[in-house]
Amino acid sequence: MRLSRLGGNDRDRSAEGFWPQGERRPYGQITGWKPVLRIRQVTMDWKDFFRKIFLIDLIKGLRLTFSYQRPDAIYTEQYPLERPPVAERYRGAPRLNNHPESGETLCIACNLCSIACPENLIVVGWARTEDRKKRLTTFTYDLSRCMFCGLCEDACPVDALELTQDFEIANYTREGMIWDRQALEEGPQPARYTR
Amino acid sequence: MLENAFEFVMATPLLLALIKILIIFGVLSGIVAYLVYMERKVLAFMQARLGPMRVGPWGLLQPVADGLKLLLKEDIIPAGADEWLFLLAPAISVFAAFTVFAVIPFAGNFYVTDINIGLLFILAISSLGIYGIILGGWASNSHYPLLGALRSSAQLVSYEVAGGMALVGVLLLSGSLSMVDIVERQSGAGVWYVFLQPVAFLIYVIAAVAETNRNPFDLPEAESELTAGFHTEYSGFRFALYFMAEYTNMVVVSCIAVTLFLGGWLRPFASVSALDFLKFAPIVAFLGAAIFIVWLGLKSLVTLERYFFVVLAAACVGLAVLVAYPAILNAIQGVFWFSAKVLVFLYAFIWYRATFPRYRYDQLMSIGWRVMIPLALANLIVTAVLRYFWLAHHAATAVAVLGRQ
Repeated sequence: MRLSRLGGNDRDRSAEGFWPQGERRPYGQITGWKPVLRIRQVTMDWKDFFRKIFLIDLIKGLRLTFSYQRPDAIYTEQYPLERPPVAERYRGAPRLNNHPESGETLCIACNLCSIACPENLIVVGWARTEDRKKRLTTFTYDLSRCMFCGLCEDACPVDALELTQDFEIANYTREGMIWDRQALEEGPQPARYTR
Repeated sequence: MLENAFEFVMATPLLLALIKILIIFGVLSGIVAYLVYMERKVLAFMQARLGPMRVGPWGLLQPVADGLKLLLKEDIIPAGADEWLFLLAPAISVFAAFTVFAVIPFAGNFYVTDINIGLLFILAISSLGIYGIILGGWASNSHYPLLGALRSSAQLVSYEVAGGMALVGVLLLSGSLSMVDIVERQSGAGVWYVFLQPVAFLIYVIAAVAETNRNPFDLPEAESELTAGFHTEYSGFRFALYFMAEYTNMVVVSCIAVTLFLGGWLRPFASVSALDFLKFAPIVAFLGAAIFIVWLGLKSLVTLERYFFVVLAAACVGLAVLVAYPAILNAIQGVFWFSAKVLVFLYAFIWYRATFPRYRYDQLMSIGWRVMIPLALANLIVTAVLRYFWLAHHAATAVAVLGRQ
């Protein structure tokens, strides 16, 4: 039962001819108020009656909950034992890639990542070799300030810096959030549990 | 020496009863503890979760951890509480819940005592248990417990009437209040009373859910309205006592329903000799448990747990072999069928909780007074009338037979 025009949606009203067609609904006015009385008729036929006395709806509910006891219905992930598959485009812990065969760093110390970084959190240290070539010495990456925008890995011309899918980068100290070259090359080392 | 001791025990009823009480109390405490575990697990599975997994393999040691935690917790008595009543109330609840088992027959030959007012005794004692809730709520001197206790008393009074009247229907058929007799009458009649009294059974099941304050009738402890209801102010082991009483009560009402309606310790279709192979069910059950455990163990992610499950499965197979001996197999028949039926009931309690939303208070009262009690009354009257004519018919036949001789 609805007695006032303060409720329901506009389509209801136009159907009833409550507001003249095409006219804007008059906000904050009470002119044209007319009570609408709508009573839903409650009837019960035999079918409904049997549904009720044989508790059909309750049994339907019981059947549904029972069916959820399948092992494959379980949604829970046992986190330290099972790790969720992370999307490929996920940007997590940074990594400095080494050459897979020689083991030497791919980084050419061009400093482009440091320039690209909006937070200025990358510091690339280099030294000149005798033939005046740049050679990477230190590389620090302050994860506590990183927003994982990925501009650094976009800027890298040799794919040396990469944001990986590792997400376990929590640390007990602020200092621990500043990763040096070794940490960047090894990646995060979370405790692995026996599988 | 050992035989002498055995004979002495058998010849001393008091000692025998004491030993039985100790066995029942010990086993029951364990069952109640693991009932909580089962509830958490079943609820979790029905909600697509895993439930407790961290304490022991598949969380099997969770009840032990919970018990220890509650034992070690501080026991707080609120400043304004009535101290003596506050201390007494949970004890009353637990006492009432456990005392009932004195008259419940777990098998044809395994019960503490068989008194001729068994069912009356159960109803009286379990009604006493309500005092634990009411006094606990009152003595806490706090709003939520008081409201919970009030609700609980109103609810239990309403549903006890309907449940009690449903039981009277069975009493009319059995003609005895003794729990052992009731089962033996069912054995003699060759039919469980659930088939003769389906309406009474339904009413009793609903009333039982309401009397144990379980979903969908758990208004005395409706979390969203009353925090925790009557035991809001309780902590530590006193809270554990209330918890234990609630779960023991679940076992109690299941035992009553099984004894009165589902033939107690009788196996299904006890009078059909073609189904005698059902007596091997305990062996199958243990083997099935072993297979289930192995299957579960293979899914485990921890190597150590897999070994544990293999050992557990081996123990189950060992038990299966043990019960395969004809003497042992015959001895455990009653207890096996009784516990199997009770387990189904307990599972159903959890199942209801996972399925049904809580009723509103006025709905609860309306169902109790306007549906359950009239229905129970109608059932009682119909049963009484049918029973009267049936008896009269038999008496007439008997007289005719006697007269011919």
